[in-house]
Amino acid sequence: MDYPTHPLAWVWLLALLALMAGLVLYVTRLNLRLRHSKRVLETEIDERCRAEDKLAENENRLRQIIASEPECVKLQSLDGILLEMNPAGLRLVEAGQPSEIIGTSVYNIIAPEFRDDYRALSERVFAGESGVMEFQIVSLKGRLRWMETHVVPLCDARDKVIALLGITRDITARKHAEDEVRLHYRELAHASRVNTMGEMASGLAHELNQPLAAIANYSRGCLRRIRSGAGTVDDLTLAIEQVCNQADRAADIISSLRRFVNKEDSPPRPQDLHAIVREAMLIAGPEASQHQVEIILELAATMPPVLGHAIQIEQVVLNLVRNAVEAMDDVPPPQRRLELCTFLEDDMAVVEVRDNGPGLSREMQSRIFDPFFTTKAAGMGMGLPICRSIVEAHGGTLVSLANPDTTACIAAEGAGLIFHFTLCLAAQEVEEVIHD
Amino acid sequence: MIERQNVFVVDDDQAARESLRWLLESVGHRVACYASAREFLDVYDGKVPGCLVLDVRMPGMSGLELQNHLLERNWCLPVIVVTGHGDIPMAVRAMKSGAVDFLQKPYNDQVLLDRIQQALELCNQRRRNHDELAQIQARHHQLTPREREVAALVVAGNANKVIAIELGLSPKTIEVHRANVMFKMQAHSLSELVQMYMRLQTDGAAASANAETHALT
Repeated sequence: MDYPTHPLAWVWLLALLALMAGLVLYVTRLNLRLRHSKRVLETEIDERCRAEDKLAENENRLRQIIASEPECVKLQSLDGILLEMNPAGLRLVEAGQPSEIIGTSVYNIIAPEFRDDYRALSERVFAGESGVMEFQIVSLKGRLRWMETHVVPLCDARDKVIALLGITRDITARKHAEDEVRLHYRELAHASRVNTMGEMASGLAHELNQPLAAIANYSRGCLRRIRSGAGTVDDLTLAIEQVCNQADRAADIISSLRRFVNKEDSPPRPQDLHAIVREAMLIAGPEASQHQVEIILELAATMPPVLGHAIQIEQVVLNLVRNAVEAMDDVPPPQRRLELCTFLEDDMAVVEVRDNGPGLSREMQSRIFDPFFTTKAAGMGMGLPICRSIVEAHGGTLVSLANPDTTACIAAEGAGLIFHFTLCLAAQEVEEVIHD
Repeated sequence: MIERQNVFVVDDDQAARESLRWLLESVGHRVACYASAREFLDVYDGKVPGCLVLDVRMPGMSGLELQNHLLERNWCLPVIVVTGHGDIPMAVRAMKSGAVDFLQKPYNDQVLLDRIQQALELCNQRRRNHDELAQIQARHHQLTPREREVAALVVAGNANKVIAIELGLSPKTIEVHRANVMFKMQAHSLSELVQMYMRLQTDGAAASANAETHALT
């Protein structure tokens, strides 16, 4: 073999070798880096896959939760188009297929009288508020049902409201139960009124006797004058006018009794509170005078109409007045004073019945609204609980207080009680009062 | 025509009292109406004769209390109690407190008018009795202590001689005292004197006892 002899040839050779070695070194390093990158990429892909799986799993879980949710879950646009609804919702509206309802307007199924309120609620939700509402729907099969819905805004990443999320449940059964309770309560109140009438029968007979006796006196006085030729036409006319007045008086008493024992079923209406109070006093008056109780009426100069059932309010007034009258049995007759006053306070009408009887101990006072609690020998203990339910059903409150006018006296002298109840004013009148 | 006499009506019900006025005026009574017992007591002085028609149940002073006031003051005004719905205890209380009648509304007008007439006669009778008693009392007042002693023994049925022995006086003196008693008492016979003494004892005592018991209640 010939070895290069040229001195430079060695140099070239060495240089070439060095170059090759460097190259090998570089490639090896490159290879190493590539492998590292690959590993990194592989783990990254793994993680992403896992994340995607998890996401899918999560979504699936959420869907399953929503799908198996017993209450209706729905998404809806501002104009009422239904975007999504879970199977419970579909069952609620009695849709066989999602296509029957998705994409249509919710206003098609909301009962007409609730549409305006629902629209107002939707607008508030798209303005970022949440809310609750009770309304009726007519299902796709034409059935009327009561719904209670909780609605919240559904926002995108930039906090823009993209839909209304509503969770709605069927409260038809609850509503029916409430109706039933209301019916029972109405019947109880009616039974209590009939009972009251029974207890007051003798006093009322007396009250009817007065006009009848007056009619008899006037007409017999007329007959005697006519027979003796003593009466002038003017005199007799005046007397006969009195006969008519007294006949009207008797008729008024009878009709107010009849009204009082009626079962009332009309919706609450604006009522003249003072007319109701006077009506109650017409019935309670004879009993008060039998017990020799002086009644002082202090009615507010102006009293806007209150919202409610006239007979039930009258029942409360009558009950409180009768209680107060009976509470003063142990007080000497000339001191028996019952004050009934009305006034306005915090946009509510207030009625107060005050007596100056012996009052009640704190312990008794805390129990007088309990059913079957009574201080009377013949009492049922249902009067005040019924009064309280009536007042509360009217949106007011009924409380009892010690009468401050008489608490200064020693206990034996009698501290007396005040019953204080409030009633809502009829809405338009509230506005008028505020404008005034 | 019936003599015009006073009827006082006390009833808290305006129609009741005004209609009663109309009825009573038709038979010629003079009627005064009052809305309460207090109002009547403020006006009435016990001197005017008449009869009172009173509703028993009224706020403030009741009819029964008014009756007791009349008894306390020893006024002889007869009271007819009327009521819308009375019961036996109430009627008993009314009669015990001196009512002459107890009527329940609605009453027959003729019955009421008759009772009022009877009450008015009773009032006149009571007044006559009252006046007579007052006269007898006044005459009795004029007797000297000795004459009263003699009179008491005479009325008890003792003969002059017995009285003389009892009082340690002569029969002659007793005769003088006895004559003075008969003259001052305006008695025309012994039996008349006895009657006067009986009235003094029973009516006089009853009147003062009445006044006492009702002053206590």
